[in-house]
Amino acid sequence: MAVIAEPDRSAIRRRRRREVAFRVSTLVTLALVVGPAAWILLGVVLRALPHWRWSVLVTPTQGAAGGLSNAILGTLALMAGVLVVAGTLGILAGVFLAELAPVTGRRWSVTGILRSATDVLAGVPSITLGFVGYLALVLALHWGYSLLPAILVLSVMVVPYIAKSTESALRQVPTSYREGAEALGMRQGYALRKVVLRSAIPGVATGLLIALAISSGETAPLLYTAGFTNTLPKVALIHHPVAYLTYPVWTFYDYPTPAAHYLAYDAALVLLVLVLVLLVAARLIVARTQRHADR
Amino acid sequence: MSAGPEGVSTERGITTPVVGAVDPILDAIDPDRGRPPHVMETRDLTLGFGAKAILSGVTAPFARGTITALIGPTGSGKTTFLRTLNRMNDKVRGFRREGSVLLDGESIWSTEQDLFTLRRRVGMLFQRPNPFPMSIRDNVVAGVRAHRIAKGKQLDVVAEQRLLEVGLWDAVKDRLGDSPFQLSGGQQQLLCLARALAIGPEVLLLDEPTSALDPVSTEFVEHLLLQMTPALSMVVVTHNLGQARRISHQTMFLYDGNLVEHGPTAQVFEHPVHTHTERYVTGRMG
Ligand SMILES: Nc1ncnc2c1ncn2[C@@H]1O[C@H](COP(=O)(O)OP(=O)(O)O)[C@@H](O)[C@H]1O
Ligand SMILES: [Mg+2]
Repeated sequence: MAVIAEPDRSAIRRRRRREVAFRVSTLVTLALVVGPAAWILLGVVLRALPHWRWSVLVTPTQGAAGGLSNAILGTLALMAGVLVVAGTLGILAGVFLAELAPVTGRRWSVTGILRSATDVLAGVPSITLGFVGYLALVLALHWGYSLLPAILVLSVMVVPYIAKSTESALRQVPTSYREGAEALGMRQGYALRKVVLRSAIPGVATGLLIALAISSGETAPLLYTAGFTNTLPKVALIHHPVAYLTYPVWTFYDYPTPAAHYLAYDAALVLLVLVLVLLVAARLIVARTQRHADR
Repeated sequence: MSAGPEGVSTERGITTPVVGAVDPILDAIDPDRGRPPHVMETRDLTLGFGAKAILSGVTAPFARGTITALIGPTGSGKTTFLRTLNRMNDKVRGFRREGSVLLDGESIWSTEQDLFTLRRRVGMLFQRPNPFPMSIRDNVVAGVRAHRIAKGKQLDVVAEQRLLEVGLWDAVKDRLGDSPFQLSGGQQQLLCLARALAIGPEVLLLDEPTSALDPVSTEFVEHLLLQMTPALSMVVVTHNLGQARRISHQTMFLYDGNLVEHGPTAQVFEHPVHTHTERYVTGRMG
Protein backbone atom coordinates (compact mmCIF):
# COMPACT_ATOMS: atom_id res chain seq x y z
CA MET A 1 0.00 0.00 0.00
CA ALA A 2 1.44 3.30 -1.05
CA VAL A 3 -1.02 5.48 0.86
CA ILE A 4 -1.83 4.94 4.51
CA ALA A 5 -5.54 4.30 4.50
CA GLU A 6 -7.86 6.42 6.61
CA PRO A 7 -8.73 4.20 9.61
CA ASP A 8 -12.26 2.96 9.38
CA ARG A 9 -13.61 3.78 12.83
CA SER A 10 -16.74 1.67 12.65
CA ALA A 11 -14.75 -1.35 11.49
CA ILE A 12 -12.39 -0.95 14.43
CA ARG A 13 -15.28 -0.65 16.83
CA ARG A 14 -16.92 -3.73 15.35
CA ARG A 15 -13.69 -5.69 15.68
CA ARG A 16 -13.28 -4.57 19.27
CA ARG A 17 -16.83 -5.57 20.12
CA ARG A 18 -16.31 -9.01 18.59
CA GLU A 19 -13.11 -9.34 20.61
CA VAL A 20 -14.93 -8.54 23.85
CA ALA A 21 -17.77 -10.93 23.02
CA PHE A 22 -15.23 -13.68 22.38
CA ARG A 23 -13.45 -13.06 25.66
CA VAL A 24 -16.69 -13.07 27.62
CA SER A 25 -17.82 -16.31 26.02
CA THR A 26 -14.55 -18.04 26.83
CA LEU A 27 -14.82 -16.87 30.42
CA VAL A 28 -18.38 -18.15 30.67
CA THR A 29 -17.33 -21.51 29.29
CA LEU A 30 -14.46 -21.69 31.73
CA ALA A 31 -16.83 -20.91 34.59
CA LEU A 32 -19.22 -23.64 33.38
CA VAL A 33 -16.42 -26.17 33.47
CA VAL A 34 -14.59 -25.10 36.59
CA GLY A 35 -17.63 -23.90 38.53
CA PRO A 36 -19.22 -27.25 39.39
CA ALA A 37 -15.84 -28.76 40.28
CA ALA A 38 -15.04 -25.84 42.58
CA TRP A 39 -18.53 -26.11 44.08
CA ILE A 40 -18.04 -29.78 44.91
CA LEU A 41 -14.57 -29.16 46.34
CA LEU A 42 -15.81 -26.31 48.48
CA GLY A 43 -18.84 -28.29 49.65
CA VAL A 44 -16.69 -31.21 50.77
CA VAL A 45 -14.11 -29.03 52.48
CA LEU A 46 -16.70 -26.88 54.24
CA ARG A 47 -18.58 -29.88 55.54
CA ALA A 48 -15.54 -31.90 56.57
CA LEU A 49 -13.39 -29.23 58.20
CA PRO A 50 -15.61 -28.05 61.10
CA HIS A 51 -15.54 -31.47 62.79
CA TRP A 52 -12.16 -32.67 61.45
CA ARG A 53 -10.16 -34.87 63.85
CA TRP A 54 -6.65 -35.97 62.94
CA SER A 55 -7.31 -39.25 64.72
CA VAL A 56 -9.43 -40.20 61.69
CA LEU A 57 -6.20 -40.91 59.86
CA VAL A 58 -4.95 -43.48 62.36
CA THR A 59 -8.13 -45.12 63.69
CA PRO A 60 -9.88 -47.91 61.82
CA THR A 61 -13.61 -47.81 61.17
CA GLN A 62 -15.85 -49.12 63.93
CA GLY A 63 -19.31 -49.84 62.57
CA ALA A 64 -20.33 -46.52 61.05
CA ALA A 65 -18.00 -44.47 63.26
CA GLY A 66 -14.33 -44.37 64.26
CA GLY A 67 -11.73 -43.47 61.64
CA LEU A 68 -10.54 -44.27 58.14
CA SER A 69 -7.06 -45.77 58.50
CA ASN A 70 -8.24 -49.11 57.14
CA ALA A 71 -9.82 -47.44 54.10
CA ILE A 72 -6.83 -45.17 53.46
CA LEU A 73 -4.38 -48.07 53.52
CA GLY A 74 -6.75 -50.16 51.40
CA THR A 75 -7.05 -47.46 48.75
CA LEU A 76 -3.28 -46.99 48.71
CA ALA A 77 -2.81 -50.76 48.28
CA LEU A 78 -5.33 -50.80 45.43
CA MET A 79 -3.60 -47.85 43.74
CA ALA A 80 -0.19 -49.46 44.07
CA GLY A 81 -1.55 -52.69 42.60
CA VAL A 82 -3.17 -50.86 39.70
CA LEU A 83 0.02 -48.90 39.09
CA VAL A 84 1.99 -52.13 38.76
CA VAL A 85 -0.52 -54.25 36.83
CA ALA A 86 -2.27 -51.66 34.65
CA GLY A 87 0.84 -49.49 34.38
CA THR A 88 2.89 -52.35 32.96
CA LEU A 89 0.19 -53.67 30.65
CA GLY A 90 -0.96 -50.23 29.52
CA ILE A 91 2.50 -48.90 28.72
CA LEU A 92 3.45 -52.09 26.91
CA ALA A 93 0.23 -51.98 24.89
CA GLY A 94 0.82 -48.31 24.08
CA VAL A 95 4.39 -49.00 22.98
CA PHE A 96 3.18 -51.88 20.85
CA LEU A 97 0.48 -49.78 19.19
CA ALA A 98 2.78 -46.84 18.49
CA GLU A 99 6.09 -48.51 17.69
CA LEU A 100 5.82 -52.13 16.76
CA ALA A 101 2.35 -52.62 15.32
CA PRO A 102 2.59 -52.89 11.55
CA VAL A 103 0.49 -50.25 9.86
CA THR A 104 -1.97 -52.48 8.04
CA GLY A 105 -5.48 -51.80 6.95
CA ARG A 106 -6.56 -55.33 7.81
CA ARG A 107 -9.30 -55.60 10.39
CA TRP A 108 -8.21 -58.84 11.94
CA SER A 109 -4.58 -58.01 12.49
CA VAL A 110 -3.25 -58.19 16.05
CA THR A 111 -3.19 -54.42 16.08
CA GLY A 112 -6.78 -54.11 14.90
CA ILE A 113 -7.99 -56.52 17.56
CA LEU A 114 -5.95 -54.83 20.30
CA ARG A 115 -7.23 -51.43 19.22
CA SER A 116 -10.88 -52.50 19.16
CA ALA A 117 -10.45 -54.29 22.47
CA THR A 118 -9.16 -51.16 24.17
CA ASP A 119 -11.94 -49.08 22.65
CA VAL A 120 -14.60 -51.54 23.77
CA LEU A 121 -13.11 -51.85 27.25
CA ALA A 122 -13.11 -48.11 27.72
CA GLY A 123 -16.81 -48.10 26.93
CA VAL A 124 -17.96 -50.89 29.30
CA PRO A 125 -19.66 -49.50 32.43
CA SER A 126 -17.53 -50.11 35.49
CA ILE A 127 -20.36 -51.84 37.34
CA THR A 128 -20.53 -54.45 34.58
CA LEU A 129 -16.82 -55.13 34.87
CA GLY A 130 -17.24 -55.36 38.62
CA PHE A 131 -20.03 -57.89 38.24
CA VAL A 132 -18.00 -59.98 35.80
CA GLY A 133 -15.10 -59.84 38.26
CA TYR A 134 -17.44 -60.94 41.02
CA LEU A 135 -18.71 -63.95 39.06
CA ALA A 136 -15.36 -64.99 37.63
CA LEU A 137 -12.85 -64.15 40.34
CA VAL A 138 -14.68 -63.81 43.64
CA LEU A 139 -17.06 -66.75 43.13
CA ALA A 140 -15.75 -69.09 40.40
CA LEU A 141 -12.11 -68.94 41.47
CA HIS A 142 -13.09 -68.82 45.16
CA TRP A 143 -10.88 -65.80 45.80
CA GLY A 144 -13.59 -64.18 47.88
CA TYR A 145 -13.78 -60.42 48.38
CA SER A 146 -10.13 -59.44 48.31
CA LEU A 147 -7.34 -57.26 46.93
CA LEU A 148 -6.44 -59.20 43.79
CA PRO A 149 -9.86 -59.31 42.10
CA ALA A 150 -10.29 -55.61 42.88
CA ILE A 151 -6.90 -54.74 41.39
CA LEU A 152 -7.56 -56.84 38.32
CA VAL A 153 -10.98 -55.33 37.65
CA LEU A 154 -9.71 -51.78 38.18
CA SER A 155 -6.74 -52.54 35.92
CA VAL A 156 -8.96 -53.81 33.13
CA MET A 157 -10.88 -50.55 33.45
CA VAL A 158 -7.89 -48.23 33.23
CA VAL A 159 -5.53 -50.05 30.85
CA PRO A 160 -7.17 -48.40 27.81
CA TYR A 161 -6.46 -44.92 29.19
CA ILE A 162 -2.81 -45.71 29.84
CA ALA A 163 -2.39 -47.43 26.46
CA LYS A 164 -4.04 -44.55 24.60
CA SER A 165 -2.06 -41.80 26.28
CA THR A 166 1.20 -43.74 25.92
CA GLU A 167 0.50 -44.34 22.25
CA SER A 168 -0.31 -40.73 21.48
CA ALA A 169 2.64 -39.47 23.52
CA LEU A 170 4.97 -41.74 21.55
CA ARG A 171 3.49 -40.63 18.26
CA GLN A 172 4.28 -37.03 19.14
CA VAL A 173 7.97 -37.70 19.71
CA PRO A 174 9.84 -35.83 16.95
CA THR A 175 11.13 -38.03 14.10
CA SER A 176 14.50 -36.32 14.48
CA TYR A 177 15.05 -38.05 17.85
CA ARG A 178 14.33 -41.46 16.35
CA GLU A 179 16.49 -40.84 13.30
CA GLY A 180 19.30 -39.47 15.42
CA ALA A 181 19.20 -42.57 17.59
CA GLU A 182 18.98 -44.85 14.57
CA ALA A 183 21.93 -43.16 12.87
CA LEU A 184 24.03 -43.72 15.99
CA GLY A 185 23.34 -47.43 15.67
CA MET A 186 21.05 -47.74 18.68
CA ARG A 187 18.87 -50.81 18.45
CA GLN A 188 15.15 -50.10 18.39
CA GLY A 189 14.44 -51.19 21.95
CA TYR A 190 17.45 -49.30 23.30
CA ALA A 191 16.52 -46.12 21.44
CA LEU A 192 12.99 -46.47 22.75
CA ARG A 193 14.11 -46.73 26.35
CA LYS A 194 16.92 -44.17 26.29
CA VAL A 195 15.69 -41.52 23.89
CA VAL A 196 12.10 -41.86 22.70
CA LEU A 197 10.25 -42.77 25.90
CA ARG A 198 12.11 -40.04 27.72
CA SER A 199 10.35 -37.34 25.78
CA ALA A 200 7.03 -39.20 26.00
CA ILE A 201 7.10 -39.22 29.81
CA PRO A 202 4.60 -36.35 30.32
CA GLY A 203 1.99 -38.14 28.22
CA VAL A 204 2.60 -41.49 29.88
CA ALA A 205 2.45 -39.85 33.32
CA THR A 206 -0.87 -38.22 32.46
CA GLY A 207 -2.29 -41.62 31.56
CA LEU A 208 -1.04 -43.16 34.80
CA LEU A 209 -2.43 -40.23 36.78
CA ILE A 210 -5.87 -40.57 35.25
CA ALA A 211 -5.72 -44.30 35.90
CA LEU A 212 -4.86 -43.79 39.56
CA ALA A 213 -7.47 -41.08 40.01
CA ILE A 214 -10.09 -43.36 38.49
CA SER A 215 -9.11 -46.33 40.59
CA SER A 216 -9.14 -44.31 43.79
CA GLY A 217 -12.52 -42.84 42.94
CA GLU A 218 -14.41 -45.94 41.79
CA THR A 219 -17.08 -47.53 43.96
CA ALA A 220 -19.25 -49.91 41.94
CA PRO A 221 -16.60 -52.43 40.84
CA LEU A 222 -15.12 -52.45 44.34
CA LEU A 223 -18.45 -53.21 46.02
CA TYR A 224 -18.42 -56.40 43.93
CA THR A 225 -14.82 -57.39 44.39
CA ALA A 226 -13.11 -55.84 47.41
CA GLY A 227 -15.95 -56.08 49.90
CA PHE A 228 -15.26 -53.96 52.94
CA THR A 229 -13.76 -54.55 56.35
CA ASN A 230 -13.16 -52.63 59.55
CA THR A 231 -9.71 -54.13 59.92
CA LEU A 232 -6.49 -52.92 58.33
CA PRO A 233 -5.53 -54.62 55.03
CA LYS A 234 -3.75 -57.96 55.45
CA VAL A 235 -0.66 -58.77 53.45
CA ALA A 236 -2.70 -61.14 51.32
CA LEU A 237 -3.88 -60.91 47.75
CA ILE A 238 -6.91 -63.14 48.13
CA HIS A 239 -9.40 -64.34 50.75
CA HIS A 240 -9.30 -61.12 52.80
CA PRO A 241 -11.68 -58.22 52.13
CA VAL A 242 -10.19 -54.76 51.73
CA ALA A 243 -11.53 -51.37 52.80
CA TYR A 244 -11.39 -48.35 50.48
CA LEU A 245 -12.28 -44.67 50.78
CA THR A 246 -15.26 -44.51 48.47
CA TYR A 247 -17.13 -47.05 50.60
CA PRO A 248 -17.77 -44.71 53.56
CA VAL A 249 -18.70 -41.92 51.15
CA TRP A 250 -21.20 -44.14 49.38
CA THR A 251 -22.61 -46.07 52.32
CA PHE A 252 -22.37 -43.95 55.47
CA TYR A 253 -24.00 -40.96 53.83
CA ASP A 254 -27.35 -42.76 54.04
CA TYR A 255 -26.95 -43.63 57.71
CA PRO A 256 -29.04 -41.76 60.27
CA THR A 257 -26.19 -40.96 62.73
CA PRO A 258 -24.14 -37.74 62.52
CA ALA A 259 -20.96 -39.76 63.20
CA ALA A 260 -21.58 -41.71 59.98
CA HIS A 261 -22.16 -38.47 58.04
CA TYR A 262 -18.94 -36.99 59.42
CA LEU A 263 -17.03 -40.06 58.35
CA ALA A 264 -18.52 -39.85 54.84
CA TYR A 265 -17.33 -36.25 54.45
CA ASP A 266 -13.96 -37.02 56.01
CA ALA A 267 -13.47 -39.85 53.50
CA ALA A 268 -14.38 -37.51 50.63
CA LEU A 269 -11.89 -34.94 51.90
CA VAL A 270 -9.11 -37.50 52.27
CA LEU A 271 -9.79 -38.71 48.71
CA LEU A 272 -9.58 -35.16 47.41
CA VAL A 273 -6.30 -34.52 49.18
CA LEU A 274 -4.96 -37.85 47.93
CA VAL A 275 -5.75 -37.01 44.31
CA LEU A 276 -4.29 -33.53 44.77
CA VAL A 277 -1.05 -34.93 46.20
CA LEU A 278 -0.93 -37.35 43.27
CA LEU A 279 -1.33 -34.47 40.84
CA VAL A 280 1.45 -32.44 42.41
CA ALA A 281 3.74 -35.45 42.64
CA ALA A 282 3.18 -36.25 38.96
CA ARG A 283 3.94 -32.64 38.05
CA LEU A 284 7.16 -32.68 40.01
CA ILE A 285 8.27 -35.96 38.49
CA VAL A 286 7.49 -34.74 34.99
CA ALA A 287 9.29 -31.44 35.58
CA ARG A 288 12.31 -33.34 36.87
CA THR A 289 12.45 -35.74 33.93
CA GLN A 290 11.79 -33.01 31.37
CA ARG A 291 14.43 -30.55 32.51
CA HIS A 292 16.40 -31.26 29.33
CA ALA A 293 13.37 -31.13 27.06
CA ASP A 294 13.14 -28.95 24.00
CA ARG A 295 10.81 -26.09 24.83
CA MET B 1 31.50 -40.05 -16.77
CA SER B 2 33.29 -40.67 -13.56
CA ALA B 3 36.75 -39.22 -13.32
CA GLY B 4 37.36 -41.29 -10.24
CA PRO B 5 39.47 -40.31 -7.30
CA GLU B 6 42.84 -40.66 -9.04
CA GLY B 7 43.21 -36.91 -9.39
CA VAL B 8 42.92 -36.45 -5.65
CA SER B 9 46.02 -36.20 -3.59
CA THR B 10 45.50 -37.60 -0.15
CA GLU B 11 48.13 -36.89 2.44
CA ARG B 12 48.80 -40.59 2.75
CA GLY B 13 50.46 -41.09 -0.58
CA ILE B 14 50.10 -44.28 -2.54
CA THR B 15 48.77 -47.37 -0.84
CA THR B 16 50.75 -50.55 -1.19
CA PRO B 17 48.34 -53.37 -1.79
CA VAL B 18 49.96 -55.93 0.47
CA VAL B 19 47.22 -57.98 1.99
CA GLY B 20 47.42 -59.84 5.25
CA ALA B 21 50.94 -59.34 6.56
CA VAL B 22 51.15 -57.55 9.87
CA ASP B 23 54.07 -55.16 9.78
CA PRO B 24 54.26 -52.51 12.49
CA ILE B 25 56.67 -50.31 10.54
CA LEU B 26 54.64 -50.29 7.35
CA ASP B 27 51.43 -49.97 9.39
CA ALA B 28 52.80 -46.89 11.08
CA ILE B 29 53.61 -45.33 7.73
CA ASP B 30 50.28 -46.26 6.21
CA PRO B 31 47.54 -47.64 8.44
CA ASP B 32 45.34 -48.25 5.40
CA ARG B 33 47.88 -50.55 3.84
CA GLY B 34 46.19 -53.37 2.01
CA ARG B 35 42.70 -51.94 2.34
CA PRO B 36 40.71 -51.02 -0.73
CA PRO B 37 41.55 -47.43 -1.78
CA HIS B 38 37.85 -46.63 -1.75
CA VAL B 39 36.36 -46.48 1.69
CA MET B 40 32.92 -46.80 0.15
CA GLU B 41 31.60 -47.26 -3.32
CA THR B 42 28.31 -47.69 -5.02
CA ARG B 43 27.96 -49.96 -8.03
CA ASP B 44 25.12 -49.48 -10.45
CA LEU B 45 22.92 -48.28 -7.61
CA THR B 46 19.30 -47.72 -8.58
CA LEU B 47 16.91 -46.24 -6.03
CA GLY B 48 13.20 -45.61 -5.97
CA PHE B 49 10.10 -45.26 -3.84
CA GLY B 50 7.27 -47.46 -5.08
CA ALA B 51 6.78 -46.83 -8.78
CA LYS B 52 8.79 -43.61 -8.62
CA ALA B 53 12.40 -43.80 -9.80
CA ILE B 54 14.77 -41.52 -7.91
CA LEU B 55 18.22 -42.43 -9.17
CA SER B 56 19.43 -44.98 -11.68
CA GLY B 57 22.74 -46.72 -12.16
CA VAL B 58 24.91 -44.64 -9.87
CA THR B 59 28.48 -45.96 -9.78
CA ALA B 60 30.64 -43.85 -7.52
CA PRO B 61 33.78 -44.60 -5.57
CA PHE B 62 34.54 -42.55 -2.47
CA ALA B 63 38.27 -42.14 -1.89
CA ARG B 64 39.46 -42.80 1.63
CA GLY B 65 40.22 -39.75 3.72
CA THR B 66 38.59 -37.23 1.40
CA ILE B 67 35.47 -35.11 1.28
CA THR B 68 32.98 -35.65 -1.51
CA ALA B 69 30.40 -32.97 -2.16
CA LEU B 70 27.01 -34.09 -3.43
CA ILE B 71 25.32 -31.33 -5.38
CA GLY B 72 22.22 -31.06 -7.51
CA PRO B 73 18.86 -29.31 -7.64
CA THR B 74 16.21 -29.91 -4.97
CA GLY B 75 14.55 -33.25 -5.49
CA SER B 76 17.45 -34.72 -7.44
CA GLY B 77 17.81 -37.50 -4.87
CA LYS B 78 20.80 -36.29 -2.84
CA THR B 79 19.21 -37.08 0.51
CA THR B 80 17.87 -40.40 -0.73
CA PHE B 81 21.31 -41.38 -1.98
CA LEU B 82 23.04 -40.30 1.22
CA ARG B 83 20.56 -42.12 3.47
CA THR B 84 21.04 -45.28 1.46
CA LEU B 85 24.74 -45.33 2.35
CA ASN B 86 24.03 -46.08 6.02
CA ARG B 87 20.80 -47.96 5.33
CA MET B 88 18.52 -45.31 6.83
CA ASN B 89 16.13 -45.92 3.95
CA ASP B 90 15.76 -49.65 4.51
CA LYS B 91 12.68 -49.26 6.65
CA VAL B 92 11.09 -46.46 4.63
CA ARG B 93 7.83 -47.54 3.04
CA GLY B 94 8.11 -48.30 -0.65
CA PHE B 95 11.88 -47.95 -0.77
CA ARG B 96 13.51 -50.18 -3.36
CA ARG B 97 17.07 -50.56 -4.51
CA GLU B 98 19.17 -52.45 -7.00
CA GLY B 99 22.93 -52.59 -7.29
CA SER B 100 25.31 -52.51 -4.39
CA VAL B 101 27.02 -50.33 -1.84
CA LEU B 102 30.39 -51.48 -0.58
CA LEU B 103 32.09 -50.46 2.63
CA ASP B 104 35.75 -51.48 2.58
CA GLY B 105 34.89 -53.80 -0.28
CA GLU B 106 32.04 -55.54 1.52
CA SER B 107 28.34 -55.05 0.79
CA ILE B 108 26.55 -53.07 3.49
CA TRP B 109 23.64 -55.46 3.06
CA SER B 110 25.70 -58.64 3.42
CA THR B 111 24.67 -60.90 6.24
CA GLU B 112 27.90 -60.36 8.16
CA GLN B 113 27.22 -56.63 8.34
CA ASP B 114 24.74 -55.82 11.00
CA LEU B 115 23.20 -52.39 11.35
CA PHE B 116 24.77 -51.90 14.76
CA THR B 117 28.34 -52.08 13.41
CA LEU B 118 27.55 -50.42 10.10
CA ARG B 119 26.20 -47.34 11.84
CA ARG B 120 29.16 -47.25 14.13
CA ARG B 121 31.43 -47.15 11.08
CA VAL B 122 29.25 -44.84 9.00
CA GLY B 123 27.92 -41.90 11.00
CA MET B 124 25.45 -39.21 10.01
CA LEU B 125 24.85 -35.53 10.67
CA PHE B 126 21.45 -34.12 9.81
CA GLN B 127 20.30 -30.88 8.27
CA ARG B 128 18.62 -29.65 11.42
CA PRO B 129 20.53 -30.05 14.68
CA ASN B 130 18.82 -32.87 16.58
CA PRO B 131 20.22 -33.14 20.09
CA PHE B 132 18.42 -35.63 22.32
CA PRO B 133 16.34 -34.44 25.29
CA MET B 134 19.12 -35.17 27.78
CA SER B 135 22.02 -33.21 29.23
CA ILE B 136 24.78 -31.86 27.01
CA ARG B 137 27.23 -34.42 28.37
CA ASP B 138 24.80 -37.30 27.94
CA ASN B 139 24.24 -36.19 24.36
CA VAL B 140 27.91 -36.47 23.51
CA VAL B 141 28.22 -39.95 24.96
CA ALA B 142 24.81 -41.31 23.88
CA GLY B 143 26.32 -43.39 21.10
CA VAL B 144 29.35 -44.36 23.19
CA ARG B 145 26.98 -45.82 25.76
CA ALA B 146 24.88 -47.61 23.17
CA HIS B 147 27.98 -49.27 21.74
CA ARG B 148 29.50 -49.88 25.18
CA ILE B 149 32.72 -48.19 24.11
CA ALA B 150 33.30 -46.63 27.52
CA LYS B 151 31.57 -46.39 30.86
CA GLY B 152 31.61 -44.61 34.20
CA LYS B 153 34.34 -42.02 34.60
CA GLN B 154 35.68 -42.73 31.11
CA LEU B 155 32.53 -41.14 29.73
CA ASP B 156 33.50 -37.78 31.19
CA VAL B 157 36.86 -38.04 29.47
CA VAL B 158 35.23 -38.94 26.16
CA ALA B 159 32.77 -36.06 26.50
CA GLU B 160 35.55 -33.57 27.19
CA GLN B 161 37.74 -34.81 24.34
CA ARG B 162 34.96 -34.73 21.78
CA LEU B 163 33.73 -31.32 22.87
CA LEU B 164 37.30 -30.03 22.62
CA GLU B 165 37.56 -31.58 19.18
CA VAL B 166 34.57 -29.63 17.87
CA GLY B 167 35.58 -26.45 19.69
CA LEU B 168 32.58 -26.45 22.01
CA TRP B 169 34.32 -27.25 25.29
CA ASP B 170 34.94 -23.72 26.51
CA ALA B 171 31.37 -22.70 25.80
CA VAL B 172 29.76 -25.61 27.65
CA LYS B 173 32.27 -26.85 30.23
CA ASP B 174 30.39 -25.15 33.05
CA ARG B 175 26.99 -26.43 32.02
CA LEU B 176 27.52 -30.01 30.95
CA GLY B 177 24.44 -31.01 32.93
CA ASP B 178 22.19 -28.46 31.26
CA SER B 179 19.72 -28.89 28.45
CA PRO B 180 21.27 -28.73 24.96
CA PHE B 181 18.31 -26.70 23.72
CA GLN B 182 19.64 -23.58 25.38
CA LEU B 183 22.58 -23.62 22.97
CA SER B 184 22.53 -21.68 19.71
CA GLY B 185 21.72 -23.55 16.50
CA GLY B 186 25.37 -23.62 15.53
CA GLN B 187 26.41 -24.95 18.92
CA GLN B 188 23.69 -27.59 18.77
CA GLN B 189 24.99 -28.75 15.41
CA LEU B 190 28.53 -28.93 16.83
CA LEU B 191 27.16 -30.98 19.72
CA CYS B 192 25.58 -33.38 17.23
CA LEU B 193 28.90 -33.55 15.41
CA ALA B 194 30.68 -34.38 18.68
CA ARG B 195 28.07 -37.07 19.32
CA ALA B 196 28.62 -38.56 15.87
CA LEU B 197 32.41 -38.44 16.18
CA ALA B 198 32.36 -39.98 19.65
CA ILE B 199 31.78 -43.50 18.33
CA GLY B 200 34.72 -43.19 15.98
CA PRO B 201 33.16 -43.56 12.51
CA GLU B 202 35.27 -44.11 9.40
CA VAL B 203 32.79 -42.32 7.17
CA LEU B 204 30.55 -39.40 8.04
CA LEU B 205 27.49 -38.58 5.95
CA LEU B 206 26.32 -34.98 6.21
CA ASP B 207 23.04 -33.75 4.78
CA GLU B 208 23.22 -29.98 4.31
CA PRO B 209 24.93 -29.69 7.69
CA THR B 210 25.17 -25.90 7.67
CA SER B 211 21.99 -24.86 5.90
CA ALA B 212 20.34 -24.01 9.22
CA LEU B 213 23.40 -22.14 10.55
CA ASP B 214 24.61 -18.54 10.44
CA PRO B 215 27.67 -17.66 8.30
CA VAL B 216 30.13 -17.62 11.21
CA SER B 217 29.07 -21.06 12.46
CA THR B 218 29.10 -22.28 8.88
CA GLU B 219 32.68 -21.21 8.39
CA PHE B 220 33.64 -22.82 11.67
CA VAL B 221 32.02 -26.13 10.74
CA GLU B 222 33.66 -26.10 7.30
CA HIS B 223 37.04 -25.55 8.89
CA LEU B 224 36.38 -28.40 11.28
CA LEU B 225 35.38 -30.79 8.51
CA LEU B 226 38.55 -30.06 6.60
CA GLN B 227 40.61 -30.69 9.73
CA MET B 228 38.99 -34.08 10.18
CA THR B 229 40.45 -35.39 6.93
CA PRO B 230 42.20 -37.66 6.20
CA ALA B 231 41.34 -39.57 9.38
CA LEU B 232 37.69 -39.42 8.39
CA SER B 233 36.06 -39.72 4.98
CA MET B 234 32.99 -37.59 4.34
CA VAL B 235 30.12 -37.27 1.92
CA VAL B 236 28.49 -33.85 2.20
CA VAL B 237 25.22 -32.87 0.57
CA THR B 238 25.18 -29.15 0.03
CA HIS B 239 23.19 -26.50 -1.77
CA ASN B 240 25.97 -24.06 -1.15
CA LEU B 241 28.22 -24.26 -4.20
CA GLY B 242 30.83 -22.08 -2.51
CA GLN B 243 30.94 -24.59 0.30
CA ALA B 244 31.38 -27.47 -2.12
CA ARG B 245 34.37 -25.65 -3.67
CA ARG B 246 35.89 -24.76 -0.33
CA ILE B 247 35.77 -28.09 1.40
CA SER B 248 35.42 -30.94 -1.05
CA HIS B 249 38.02 -32.93 -2.93
CA GLN B 250 35.53 -34.51 -5.30
CA THR B 251 32.15 -33.35 -6.44
CA MET B 252 29.21 -35.45 -7.62
CA PHE B 253 26.47 -33.75 -9.57
CA LEU B 254 23.06 -35.45 -9.50
CA TYR B 255 20.51 -34.36 -12.03
CA ASP B 256 17.30 -35.81 -13.40
CA GLY B 257 17.77 -39.23 -11.84
CA ASN B 258 21.38 -39.68 -12.85
CA LEU B 259 24.87 -39.10 -11.63
CA VAL B 260 25.77 -36.64 -14.39
CA GLU B 261 29.28 -35.76 -13.36
CA HIS B 262 31.80 -36.94 -10.80
CA GLY B 263 35.37 -35.73 -10.54
CA PRO B 264 37.86 -33.58 -8.69
CA THR B 265 36.06 -30.51 -7.43
CA ALA B 266 38.23 -28.03 -9.31
CA GLN B 267 37.58 -29.86 -12.54
CA VAL B 268 33.81 -30.12 -12.02
CA PHE B 269 33.59 -26.41 -11.32
CA GLU B 270 36.14 -25.08 -13.82
CA HIS B 271 35.84 -27.49 -16.71
CA PRO B 272 32.62 -29.44 -16.41
CA VAL B 273 32.14 -32.07 -19.07
CA HIS B 274 28.38 -31.79 -19.26
CA THR B 275 26.29 -28.76 -20.14
CA HIS B 276 23.85 -29.50 -17.28
CA THR B 277 26.73 -29.37 -14.84
CA GLU B 278 28.00 -26.17 -16.30
CA ARG B 279 24.60 -24.53 -16.09
CA TYR B 280 24.18 -25.68 -12.49
CA VAL B 281 27.61 -24.63 -11.19
CA THR B 282 27.35 -21.26 -12.87
CA GLY B 283 23.95 -20.69 -11.32
CA ARG B 284 22.07 -20.67 -14.59
CA MET B 285 19.83 -23.61 -13.80
CA GLY B 286 16.37 -23.15 -12.30
N1 LIG C 1 9.90 -41.56 1.67
C1 LIG C 1 9.66 -41.15 0.41
N2 LIG C 1 8.62 -41.66 -0.28
C2 LIG C 1 8.38 -41.26 -1.55
N3 LIG C 1 9.10 -40.34 -2.22
C3 LIG C 1 10.15 -39.79 -1.57
C4 LIG C 1 10.48 -40.16 -0.23
N4 LIG C 1 11.57 -39.44 0.14
C5 LIG C 1 11.90 -38.66 -0.91
N5 LIG C 1 11.05 -38.87 -1.94
C6 LIG C 1 11.11 -38.23 -3.25
O1 LIG C 1 12.37 -38.49 -3.82
C7 LIG C 1 12.82 -37.37 -4.53
C8 LIG C 1 14.21 -37.01 -4.11
O2 LIG C 1 14.16 -36.54 -2.79
P1 LIG C 1 15.46 -36.16 -1.98
O3 LIG C 1 16.38 -37.32 -1.99
O4 LIG C 1 15.02 -35.67 -0.64
O5 LIG C 1 16.05 -34.97 -2.84
P2 LIG C 1 17.11 -33.85 -2.44
O6 LIG C 1 17.69 -34.20 -1.13
O7 LIG C 1 18.09 -33.90 -3.56
O8 LIG C 1 16.39 -32.56 -2.43
C9 LIG C 1 11.83 -36.26 -4.33
O9 LIG C 1 11.02 -36.15 -5.46
C10 LIG C 1 11.02 -36.73 -3.15
O10 LIG C 1 9.69 -36.29 -3.27
MG1 LIG D 1 17.70 -33.11 0.76
